[in-house]
Amino acid sequence: MAATAPPAQTAPAGPPAQSAPAGPEVAHPPHTWQVVTGAVRAAFAGTPGRLRLAGIVTVVAGLVFGLFAFVAASTRAGALSNARADAAQLVRVQTIRTKLVSADASLTNAFLVGGLEPPAARAAYQAGITAASKTLADASGDNTHDAVVLAEVNDVVTRYTGLVESARANNRLGYPLGAAYLRQATDLLRTDALPPLGDLGTSVQHRVDNAYSSSANATAWLVIGLVIALIALIAVQVWLAGRMRRVFNLPLVLATAVVLVVGIVLAGVMAWSQSKAKSTRDGAYFATLELATARIDAFDAKSAESLTLIARGQGQAYDASFDNLSANVGAILDDAGKNGDNEYAARQAFIAYTTVHKNIRALDGKGNWDEAVALATNNAKDGANARFGTFDAASGKALDQSSGQLRHNLSSARSPLLAFAWIALIAGVAAAVAAGLGVSTRLREYR
Amino acid sequence: MTSERFPAETTKVRRRGSSSRRGSWLILAGAAAVTALVAGCSAGSTPTLPTVAPPSTSSAPPASTPPARPGCSDDNTTRVESYDPSTVTTGPALERIKRAGKLKVGVSADNLLFGYRNPIKGTLEGFDIDMVNEVAKTIFGSAQGRVQYVVENFAQRIPDLQAGRVDLVADIMTINCIRWNQIAFSAEYFHAGQQILVRRNSYNSIKQMNGKKVCTGAGSTGFDNLVKNYKQVQRVVVNDISDCMVLFQQGAVEGVISDNTVVQGFAAQDPYAVVLPDLLSPEPYGLGINKKDVDLVRFVNNLLEQMRADGDWQRIHDKWVRSDKNGQPQPVYGRALP
Repeated sequence: MAATAPPAQTAPAGPPAQSAPAGPEVAHPPHTWQVVTGAVRAAFAGTPGRLRLAGIVTVVAGLVFGLFAFVAASTRAGALSNARADAAQLVRVQTIRTKLVSADASLTNAFLVGGLEPPAARAAYQAGITAASKTLADASGDNTHDAVVLAEVNDVVTRYTGLVESARANNRLGYPLGAAYLRQATDLLRTDALPPLGDLGTSVQHRVDNAYSSSANATAWLVIGLVIALIALIAVQVWLAGRMRRVFNLPLVLATAVVLVVGIVLAGVMAWSQSKAKSTRDGAYFATLELATARIDAFDAKSAESLTLIARGQGQAYDASFDNLSANVGAILDDAGKNGDNEYAARQAFIAYTTVHKNIRALDGKGNWDEAVALATNNAKDGANARFGTFDAASGKALDQSSGQLRHNLSSARSPLLAFAWIALIAGVAAAVAAGLGVSTRLREYR
Repeated sequence: MTSERFPAETTKVRRRGSSSRRGSWLILAGAAAVTALVAGCSAGSTPTLPTVAPPSTSSAPPASTPPARPGCSDDNTTRVESYDPSTVTTGPALERIKRAGKLKVGVSADNLLFGYRNPIKGTLEGFDIDMVNEVAKTIFGSAQGRVQYVVENFAQRIPDLQAGRVDLVADIMTINCIRWNQIAFSAEYFHAGQQILVRRNSYNSIKQMNGKKVCTGAGSTGFDNLVKNYKQVQRVVVNDISDCMVLFQQGAVEGVISDNTVVQGFAAQDPYAVVLPDLLSPEPYGLGINKKDVDLVRFVNNLLEQMRADGDWQRIHDKWVRSDKNGQPQPVYGRALP
C-alpha cells in the first residue's frame, strides 16, 4: 500500500531541503543536546517529518480541546457548587441572626409583661436560642474564617444566655436588678453578636459573588480550547489537502466534527447552566436575602417596640430605630409580596401588626403606659403578638421556600456539567486518536 | 395581675431589704469631717469600661455645670433653702398640669427602695413613687391615672426638667448649689448620705481602695465626690446606676459608690455585698422642679408641711426605710423669689 507514493514528492525543495544533509554528520563527538536536536531535526525533516509534525499538532489539538473543555465545565461546576455552598452558608448566617433577634424579641416582650414570663414566651426564647446554637454549629464546619467569627459569636451567645438567666433569677426573687441584667443582655447581643454576624453575612455574600464570576470566567477555557483545536485541525487538513491528492482525510474530518459538535454542545450546556445560575441569583437568591433581611429587621423592630416601653419615656432612640426597621421591612415586602402567596400573607400580616404598633405608640404618647404595655403584650387574636406571629409564620414559610428553591436551582444548574466535562475530555482524546490515525495513514502512504 | 400569686415574695423583698440595712443608717454627724479628709490626692483616671448604655443621649459632663450662685454654700443650710410654702392652688405650672390632666414625673425604675419596677407586679413602687402620688392626689383629688412616669437615669433628670419633658423629678435627687442654678427644689424631704458598697470581708473603708475600680452613675453626686475627693480611686461610670451592681456582681468593679438609698437597695438584693458604715457626704433630697415653676415648688412645700402634720410622710418612710433614724428633715425656707 505504500507503492502509490507520488513521484512529485521530491519536487518541493523548500527550506527543509537544507536540513537534509544533516543525516550523515555522525563524525562529530556528539553533545547530548546535539544528539537530541539532531534527532528532532531528523524526525521532522522532509515531508514525512512535516507529516509527523502535523500528526503531533492534530493530536495535541484534540487533547487541548478535551482538557480545556474539561477544565471549563468542571470549573463552572465547581464554582456553582461553591456558590451553592456559600449561599447555603449565607442562609445559615442569616438564620442565626434571625433566631437571636427573635429570641431577644420574645425575651423583652416577656419582661414587659412582668411577673413570671408567660410559658409561651419562654419557650419561644428557648427555641430561638436552641436554633441559633444548632445553626452556629452547622455553619462552623464550612470555612475556617467563618468558624473563627462564629466561635466568637457562640461565646457572646453563651454570655448572653448567662445574663438572661441572671435576669430571670433576680426577677424571680422580685429584685429589680433583673432589669439591669436584661438590659445588659440585650445590649450585648446588639453590640457583640449581631454586628459580626452582619459582617460575616457580607463576606459570605462576596464569596457567592466571586463564585459567580469564576463560573462566568470558565467559558473562556472552552472558547480558547475550541478555537485552538479547530484552527490546528483545519490548518493541518488544508495543508494536507494541498499536499495530497485527496481533499478529505476521513479520521481528521471526524476528529474536527467531534471537536466542533462536542464543543458546541458543551458551550450550550454551559450557557444554559450559567443562565440558570444567573436567573437563580436574580430570583431565588435575592428573594432569600431580602426575606431574611426583612425577618431580621422585623424581629429587631419588635424588640425595639418592647424596649421603647421598657425605657418608659426615654425610649426615643428605640422608637426611631423601630421606624427605620419597619420601613425597611415594608419596602422589602412591598416588592416580595408579588412573588407568592406566603410573601403576600407576610406583607399583609406585617401591615396589620404595624397598625397595632401605631396604637401602642399613641397610647404611650398620651401617657397611658399601662394600656400601651397591655396592647404590646397581648396574645389575643388581634393583639400585637398574634399579628406578629402571623407575619413570622408566613415570612418563615416564604423564606424556606425560596431558600429551598435556591439550593435546588443551583444544584440543577450544576448537575449536567460534570458529566459533560468527562464527555468532552473523552471526546478530545477520541479526536486526538482519530487525528493521529488520520495523519499516520498519510505517513504510511508516503513511505 | 399575677400579684396575688406571690404575696410571700413581695414581702420577702422588703424584709430582706430592711434586715441587711440594719445599723447602716447612721446619723450624718461626721459627714462634713469625712468630706474634708480626703482632699489632695493625685489625678485619677476614668477608664472607659462597659458603658452599658441604651441609646440615650444625655450624660451631662460635670465640667459644663455652671458655678454655684453666690450666697449659697453646700456646707450649710443655704443649699436646702427653698421658697416659702403657699396654700395657693393656682399658678401657671399648676394650671398647665391640670390642663394636661396628668402630672409628668421623672423617676427611677431600678432603685429598690425609692423608685423601682416591681418585677412581679410590673408596677413602679418606692418612697419617691409614693411622694409623687401624694403630689398628684393633692392636685387632682386622686392619683389614679393622673401620673405619667418617665423613667430616667441620673444624668437625664436635669435636662428633662429644663426641657419641660417632666413637671417634677422624684428620683433621690440631691439638693446642691450648682443644681439650684439649673432647676428649683422643694424643701428637703429625705436626708440621705453617700456610702460605698463592697464585697463582704473585702474592704473596711474607701481609703483602702486607691487604684481599685469603683463604679458610679454619670451625672450623680457620687461621681462628683469621686472626682473631688477620691482621685486615686479608678472611676467606672455607667449611665444607669443598676449597671454598677451588674458589674459588681460580675467582678468587674470592687465597689459601688452612691447614696445609701441606692446601695442599701443593692445590698438587699445581694447577700455577698455589704455597705460600709462611713458616710462619705450628706445628701439632702428635694423634689426637682423647673426653675420657672415657682408656684409648683411652693405648692409642694405646703404639701410637705401637711404630710408632716398628718403623718403621711412618716407612713411612707416607715413603709420603705423604717430603720432610717432621721425623721422628716426640718425645712429651710426664705429663698428669695426669682
